[in-house]
Amino acid sequence: MVETGHFALVLAFALSLVQTIVPLFGARLNNQRLMAVGGPVAVTGFALTALSFFALASAYANSDFSVASVWENSHSLQPMIYKVTGTWGNHEGSMLLWVLILTFFGALVAAFGSNLPATLRANVLAVQGAIGAAFFLFILATSNPFIRLNPAPIEGRDLNPVLQDLGLAIHPPLLYLGYVGFSICFSFSIAALIEGRIDASWARWVRPWTLVAWMFLTGGIAMGSYWAYYELGWGGFWFWDPVENASFMPWLAGTALLHSAIVMEKRSALKIWTLLLAILTFSLSLLGTFLVRSGVLTSVHAFATDPARGVFILCILTLFIGGSLALFALRASRLTAGGLFHPISREGALVLNNLFLTTATATVLVGTLYPLALEALTGDKISVGAPFFDLTFGPLMLPLLVLVPFGPLLAWKRGDIIAASQRLMAAFATALAAMLVTGLFIDGTSVFAALGIGLAVWLIAGALTDLAVKSGVGSVAPAVMLRRFAGLPRSVFGTALAHLGLGLTLLGIVATLSFGTEKILTMRAGETVELSGHTLRFVGLYPAQGPNYSEDRGRFELIGVSGSAVGEISSAKRFYPVRQTTTTESGIKTLGLSQLYISLGDEAKDGSVVVRLWWKPLVTLIWGGGLVMMAGAAMSLMDRRLRVGAPSRRRKQAGAEAPAVLP
Amino acid sequence: MTRKQKRLSVIVGGLAFLGAATGLTFYALGQKASYFYMPADLTTASVQPGQRIRLGGLVEKGTIQRGQGATVAFSVTDTHKSVKVTYTGILPDLFREEQGVITEGSFGPDGVFVADSVLAKHDERYMPKEVADGLKAKGVWQESKSE
Amino acid sequence: MLFWVIAAILTLGASLAVLLPLAAGAKGASSSGDHDLEVYRDQLSELDRDAGRGLIQPAEAAEARAEIARRILRLDNADAAGKASARPASVTARLVATIAVLAVPLVSWGVYSQIGSPDLPAQPLSQRLAKNPADSSVDELVARAEAHLAANPSDGRGWDVLGPVYLRMQRFSDAVAAYRNAIRLDGDSAVRQAGLGEAIAGAAGGIVSADAQDAFEAALKLDPANAKASFYLAMALAQEGRKKEATTAWQAMLGTLPPDSPWRSAVEQALAKSASPEVASGAAVKGPDAADVDAASSLSPQDREAMINTMVAGLDEKLRQNPRDPEGWMRLVRSYVVLGKSDQAREALGRAIAVFGSGSDEAKKFTALAASLGLTATE
Repeated sequence: MVETGHFALVLAFALSLVQTIVPLFGARLNNQRLMAVGGPVAVTGFALTALSFFALASAYANSDFSVASVWENSHSLQPMIYKVTGTWGNHEGSMLLWVLILTFFGALVAAFGSNLPATLRANVLAVQGAIGAAFFLFILATSNPFIRLNPAPIEGRDLNPVLQDLGLAIHPPLLYLGYVGFSICFSFSIAALIEGRIDASWARWVRPWTLVAWMFLTGGIAMGSYWAYYELGWGGFWFWDPVENASFMPWLAGTALLHSAIVMEKRSALKIWTLLLAILTFSLSLLGTFLVRSGVLTSVHAFATDPARGVFILCILTLFIGGSLALFALRASRLTAGGLFHPISREGALVLNNLFLTTATATVLVGTLYPLALEALTGDKISVGAPFFDLTFGPLMLPLLVLVPFGPLLAWKRGDIIAASQRLMAAFATALAAMLVTGLFIDGTSVFAALGIGLAVWLIAGALTDLAVKSGVGSVAPAVMLRRFAGLPRSVFGTALAHLGLGLTLLGIVATLSFGTEKILTMRAGETVELSGHTLRFVGLYPAQGPNYSEDRGRFELIGVSGSAVGEISSAKRFYPVRQTTTTESGIKTLGLSQLYISLGDEAKDGSVVVRLWWKPLVTLIWGGGLVMMAGAAMSLMDRRLRVGAPSRRRKQAGAEAPAVLP
Repeated sequence: MTRKQKRLSVIVGGLAFLGAATGLTFYALGQKASYFYMPADLTTASVQPGQRIRLGGLVEKGTIQRGQGATVAFSVTDTHKSVKVTYTGILPDLFREEQGVITEGSFGPDGVFVADSVLAKHDERYMPKEVADGLKAKGVWQESKSE
Repeated sequence: MLFWVIAAILTLGASLAVLLPLAAGAKGASSSGDHDLEVYRDQLSELDRDAGRGLIQPAEAAEARAEIARRILRLDNADAAGKASARPASVTARLVATIAVLAVPLVSWGVYSQIGSPDLPAQPLSQRLAKNPADSSVDELVARAEAHLAANPSDGRGWDVLGPVYLRMQRFSDAVAAYRNAIRLDGDSAVRQAGLGEAIAGAAGGIVSADAQDAFEAALKLDPANAKASFYLAMALAQEGRKKEATTAWQAMLGTLPPDSPWRSAVEQALAKSASPEVASGAAVKGPDAADVDAASSLSPQDREAMINTMVAGLDEKLRQNPRDPEGWMRLVRSYVVLGKSDQAREALGRAIAVFGSGSDEAKKFTALAASLGLTATE
């Protein structure tokens, strides 16, 4: 089974080469047969990669230590769930997952691309094939998960305990679905550049793929943030760590792409810009893969530290980013520019959005790469952390967030800013009220808190206003309004939900940062501590034994008003003997939208324990907002205008009469 | 304003915006980036008390002292020189003697480095290979547990 | 074999994915203009929907409709101008197709033959552990013992058995841990202390360190006649440069060792080496094979029976019933040597040679194996 998987991987590599070359020639020679090869090959390549991945996963599940990667990253005593998730909890397996998703998306284009012009489809599949070939080669040459050991060791070396967590099971696949999803947008852009023309169906394809990728990337980032929050035991949800930035940059660029693709689809404007943005977004995804996989960064995620790999990925990076930008420089002038619009219009708002988002992406890029470049050039080691991003990223986001509610209320081509402002009066009043309440009653000392809460409420109210205006609140009868609301296109709901989610996340961040409290103290069994109105009693330390670890579990009781225990929280120090590693399992109690967070420290000689406690008001909204954003993207995806059929003879007849509709 | 002037003002506005963003970025890089030093570097580099830096090295053997409450004092060394560090809070799981550590903070007037964050290298490859080796690790662990 | 069949089927499938579209007749493809038209039509109907719902003002709708209509008109012109007909398959196309069809089997089998391990079956742990112990290799027997000890780490006897086996396998640091556990759980004994000392010395590349000396001294305290401890302590002296004292110690050993002791030759070798100048090199200290054999055989018989003996006996029994199994014989001989039963190893070797005839290829293999294990046939 293992070798079957290995062979399937090699075969998939061979097919990816065919998929690169044959359809490309087919499109060039306008040869239908050659072009037709792309589809079946992409689907077969996916099937083989899936077989290969399945073989690896079953080797992990069955603790087959004759496979080197299993031996290095698994242990027979691990719970089954972590045996399976361990498949992609390491460098080799995660790269296999990467190509699995890549080929899966390629197969989707092949399967559902019948409504695409044949040459476009062939070129897209060829570019997908080329990306696949590069990464298959990377895997086979430097990161082969199927390297065998003979004789096989009888026991493995265990998965990094920090990664033995359900969050890890979900985080990388989501992130990769996002990263790799943008590869489709990239392939469409390159295909358009190769052909020298952008078809009308281009935007209709790129937009849903952007939505899909953006949705998963949002989920991946939210999941990663939550994982770091509870697993690393520091209580922070975002560290501006280079690895986090690596996923955040494609997200920012992808968000910009998401918006510019709307303009392109609706108005055929911003074509070249959208195309460039698609290339940049995937380039940033590749850069993210490079940063994480090459080991140039030393952080939690850098579990690959092999220079050969770094150099190989750098070559892939240079080839694809350099090649695509060169192609862009050569061909972009051949593409025709699209429609015109007034600066104050929906298009204008979206351009502004793009301006802010791409600039923000650039600052994050500089903040992430500058330390690396400086170290490479001068040997000076610097760290660029939160203070830098607070000063650069913050000021860029602030005006953007203020402007967000205006966008959806402006008309295409020529908008009426005054009318939009009038419609937003209620939202503005709500935000102002929230700001005043925060400043006067909750925390009068922090301007940041009041402004932040106000801004978050502004976003939330703005999103709701958009829905209200579009369903005609205040201008039509309630029954009509309800019918209109139900009949709104899904994409309108998508926009509103995404902006609403953004507001919720912001609310969570501001509330946690401004009103959160923290205490560090040493506690003995039986002692109580008070934190932001919650009383906790330390019950004691209890040793326990897990399947592949032993732990000291510190139990705390939450004391209610009556003085009796109303809940229990426990935090543990775990020791994993195989890797001789200790981890902290934080104790979290969710109360409404807020959380109490306990992190256990070392035990002192006299039996007292260092305990760190946090009260994190509304903290769940940070990730809850991410879920709402994902729901928005899913809603937009279901919009029926993204489903365009293939041309048929009868419909073409009807289409030919279309000019008669001219007024 | 004519159409041409309008377009010009849009372009100028965009460029001004980008310029401001670039300026801000480089200003922030100069002000907010913290340099990384090893203890031996500190003799040549001039680091003012209060200037935020990152100090890295190994936790010197036998220097970890737990003081009042959650405050810990230890020395960070690069085997040539060592620097006294104090930190209040929970040390990372991988913090132990003779392990790599990165502390972030600034020097107090008394020459003691006051750290507000301590990071231990969070990387399993940092473990000596032998230690992680299957059953042997178990044997060692059993032993150290009981001793 | 099954693997090759699967590989062949997969290759065939992959090749068909390339071949079939090439062989199929070219379908009349629609031009990209048709596709664009489809999109514009869809945009028009969407516009009507939005206008009907009152989402956009009638004036805006009219303007948008005009814009889409203009795009359609432009499309018609472009189509009329550049209607390219599908060209017949050119030479290049045929060449590309041929290369593509050939590339799939060539690349896959070529690359796989370089990096694959086709002969290595999958080895799920449960399956390996469920196997008849008699079929297991020494490594697996050890692994089985390890698994047993992982589950019952306080089984001192188990550690006691594993210690010498690790020494024999040159897994010195494992041996150190095993001896330490055995001493901790089952108490001190000269044999264990001497073994611990040897393991520490082995882990240090043959240098008898202070730790190792402590262990050997502890062994001598428990049993002043322990040959291994005396031998290594003398070695320590030699390594410190106190050659004369070392030589005296070794010579004293020769006087007291029983005549059939396997240590005799080791001591003689050491004496011969100490006469030559580079006595203190680490390599010279490497315990001679005889010492290893002694280490293994110094175990109490019950301990051996407790762990591995039954497994080896099972293999022995099987070979009596089904003697034509050269692999099995080799495993049996090796197992006996590892367990320190050199007599039984020799006996097994003799039986094995008898089964296949002394001139046969198998017999040559057996004698070669025996030689590599430091075993000499006794006939």
